[in-house]
Amino acid sequence: MRSLNFLLVGLAMLLQSSIFSQAVPMANIKGGEFVPLYGTKTTVKVDDFKMDVYPVTNKDFQKFLKSNPQWQRSKVKKLFADESYLNLWIDDLNFGEGQKANSPVTGISWFAAKNYCECQGKRLPTTDEWEYAAMASQKQADAREEVSYNQYILKWYETPNTFEKEIGSTFKNYWGVYDLHGLVWEWTLDFNSVLLSGESRKDSAGDNSLFCGASAIGATDLMNYAAFMRYAFRGSVKANYSIKNLGFRCVQDVPAETI
Amino acid sequence: MINYIKKAGINYFYFLFAIVLIAGSFTSCEKAVAAKENPEQMRIYGESEAELTAPPMVPRPVGNRAPTKLIINMEVVEKEMEMSDGVSYVYWTFDGTVPGSFIRTRVGDEIEFHLKNHPDSKLPHNIDLHAVTGPGGGAESSFVAPGREAVFTFKTMNPGLYVYHCATAPVGMHIANGMYGLILVEPAGGLPPVDKEYYIMQGDFYTEGKNGERGLQAFDMQKAVDENADYVVFNGSVGALTGDNAIHAEVGETVRLYVGNGGPNLVSSFHVIGEIFDKVYVEGGSMINNNVQTTLIPAGGAAIVEFKVDVPGELVLVDHSIFRAFNKGALGILKVEGKENPQIFGGKIEEKAYNPTPLIAAGTVTEKETESKPDLLSLAQKLERGKTVYTQNCFACHQANGEGIPNAFPPLAKSDYLNADVHRSIGAVKYGLSGEITVNGVKYNSVMPKVAISDEDVASVLTYIYNNWGNNKTEVSPEMVKKVK
Amino acid sequence: MYPPKLFNIISIMKNLMIVLLMALILISCKTETDKVSEVAVLESKSTNELNKEIPELSVYNLPSTWTTQNNEQIELKDLQGKVVVMVMIYTSCKAACPRLVADMRNIERRVNKSDLKNVQFIMVSIDPETDTPQRLKEFSIENVMEDDHWMFLRGTTEDTREFAAVLAVNYKKITPIDFSHSNIISVFDTRGVMVHQQEGLGVDNEETINAINEQLKSI
Repeated sequence: MRSLNFLLVGLAMLLQSSIFSQAVPMANIKGGEFVPLYGTKTTVKVDDFKMDVYPVTNKDFQKFLKSNPQWQRSKVKKLFADESYLNLWIDDLNFGEGQKANSPVTGISWFAAKNYCECQGKRLPTTDEWEYAAMASQKQADAREEVSYNQYILKWYETPNTFEKEIGSTFKNYWGVYDLHGLVWEWTLDFNSVLLSGESRKDSAGDNSLFCGASAIGATDLMNYAAFMRYAFRGSVKANYSIKNLGFRCVQDVPAETI
Repeated sequence: MINYIKKAGINYFYFLFAIVLIAGSFTSCEKAVAAKENPEQMRIYGESEAELTAPPMVPRPVGNRAPTKLIINMEVVEKEMEMSDGVSYVYWTFDGTVPGSFIRTRVGDEIEFHLKNHPDSKLPHNIDLHAVTGPGGGAESSFVAPGREAVFTFKTMNPGLYVYHCATAPVGMHIANGMYGLILVEPAGGLPPVDKEYYIMQGDFYTEGKNGERGLQAFDMQKAVDENADYVVFNGSVGALTGDNAIHAEVGETVRLYVGNGGPNLVSSFHVIGEIFDKVYVEGGSMINNNVQTTLIPAGGAAIVEFKVDVPGELVLVDHSIFRAFNKGALGILKVEGKENPQIFGGKIEEKAYNPTPLIAAGTVTEKETESKPDLLSLAQKLERGKTVYTQNCFACHQANGEGIPNAFPPLAKSDYLNADVHRSIGAVKYGLSGEITVNGVKYNSVMPKVAISDEDVASVLTYIYNNWGNNKTEVSPEMVKKVK
Repeated sequence: MYPPKLFNIISIMKNLMIVLLMALILISCKTETDKVSEVAVLESKSTNELNKEIPELSVYNLPSTWTTQNNEQIELKDLQGKVVVMVMIYTSCKAACPRLVADMRNIERRVNKSDLKNVQFIMVSIDPETDTPQRLKEFSIENVMEDDHWMFLRGTTEDTREFAAVLAVNYKKITPIDFSHSNIISVFDTRGVMVHQQEGLGVDNEETINAINEQLKSI
């Protein structure tokens, strides 16, 4: 009887630890409406959701690789990751000497990022969710008109090697989320909803043979080229690319009643 | 009979053969001519990697070579470099330089272009070469994310000097950060040879801080939209072509400059101070203009200028919208060394004084000049003239109202020393005064240099002094002044 | 045998243990979580081990399950063995999709009749919510694409997004009924590796035909 009890307790603990072994702080983001830079000039609605406070780190990803060997560099399928996948890591399970445990993990493809989030019972944020959370400054939920906020972002674009910084090294925004700007680009669930041909001069006119539907890159605010450049970046990558400056974080849906 | 027929037949045969041969040669000639004139039909011989050079150098001329397959490898690098003394800027570059590498090809070449984007880059980039006939000049086909490489091919269809630049949105920003360069497509046979060739490209830069403000400067989009440049420079930075970086030539050499203008906004009025362009390939095309002083280079355009340097010295390359040259950096130096040629340029042969009105204190006044002036001024005229002379010569030390400066310069107001002896005063002005004197009970021991003015002016200024500030109202005449030796 | 109370406790514990064990299995992460059915997940795990032949670059590495216009469930790897020509559209599209469908038909016409049994022409919907199997069936009838070599597929929203990412097809919902998407027709070899893509509308399909015929040679 007693041994059965112990077994049960042991099992329960195992269960607990495997569910919460990679618990990261998350912030509650209250949903709302906003006009994103691209596409329709009408507002987009974002539901309440929870977002990781920090991007996923090298240490987090290392733990994930130990229990998910199919995503290790030597084992990953080429369909899901290109030749640059984790190319700065020493081997399958150890990140590079120059890399820090608490720096955001980069050089991972969209498939790897997506799977990591799913393993945590979460998912990648949609582009709208990411942009909604990211338009916040320290004090305001929507700081897109603020000159200093835009300048901060643009300065970051010109600063090299920010992927070497550690998480939490930029500002805490209105929602309590760090590092949406200033560290690395981040994968989104529907990054491939950006319709760019790569020929930006034509994109502004809209080419109807390449894209069906209203393909015009009708930026609602041409001066908001800080956001513009994020979309340009998203439009230049494919799901299996692994890029030095590109990491990710996860979000979680929230049942309507809790917030 | 039969032999005759045979002979005739053979002759006829030869005749036909000759005609066919001649006709054949004509048609193949046409094809050959067509191939020569139509780049699309030019045959390609061999394959090699293109020689690319960093500015201001250019690769070797193509000379007489046949069209070939050229492989071009270019890498986009985002890096911080110096814009000016103490001012740095994050440039986005092709191959690490602004402008990017010079590409040299000939008409009919087949180019295989490899564009790589360094993994450390933040942003995707691409390239639009104005030499490409095809969509976007290659921009669509070369769009690359960081850590990726794109390969596309094109044929050079037209000879000329062409700009290439990045065309990723926002295009203005990519160009403004330095993503431009030149590609030369030489005609069949190559351009006529010259002694020296150099690569120069003008660009305008927009920074958050003013021109000269130290530190790492960020790009300022608003200034760029307003076309309000802080720096206008050749080859990416102030001083890229000056001092140790100046370009060189020898007297007697022909110099060819491949000059581009990356913009993003400003048109260049390109001029070389001290030279005249013997030849200008207008806008980088096939039309040649001669004897040009200043040529216009459009933003996103180029020109080829040629001139023979005849005399040694420093030739200054400028954008003749002159404030850009002297206040924003659009200045470069071409050092010419060698033998002087006094016939072409004699240089300065003499320097002397120029004095249209002797009343002004400078140089010597001859007797002749004095005599030609009116002999005497009235008291009023003397006072007026004296005031002017006083202000120009005496005011500094003796002050506006003759109060002097305590412990330094004696007063002239109510001065016992002055009033006691007019001839002594004249002497002080004419020959100077040194040693200890006592004025109004105060000792002064200094040096007063002589005042180099005419006797008339001495008379006028002393009259002015004596008739002001409580002095004894003596009127001094030029005769009195002349008498004091 | 045992006193009734103890018996109850034991049986409860037994049940609890079974539940815990099942939970543990579900929590450890597999290649791709399939929200459609856990049973299918367990099945695909074993079949994956069987099909070690699938090349790394093959799209059949995606374990997602899809529904055809005839309401059948298939996994992508069921398409192994045929040359696959695929396009992503949605049935309510008025602008480009009819033209894409026409492009697909032009390609189909140029394939030898005798080879058609070895080619599968597939239209995948990017609007799975509207394009139910019934809707897809209607569409196939409207467009006279009822022969066996035509297939229409829809999956979950997530699987669709993932599949598009593999094909590098970009799409975005721009109004409740309209999508913006790239117009790409892809050709896969018999093992699911992409060998050719044709981008744009009314494009010269010469290279696509060549790619298909090239792959047919290996059958």
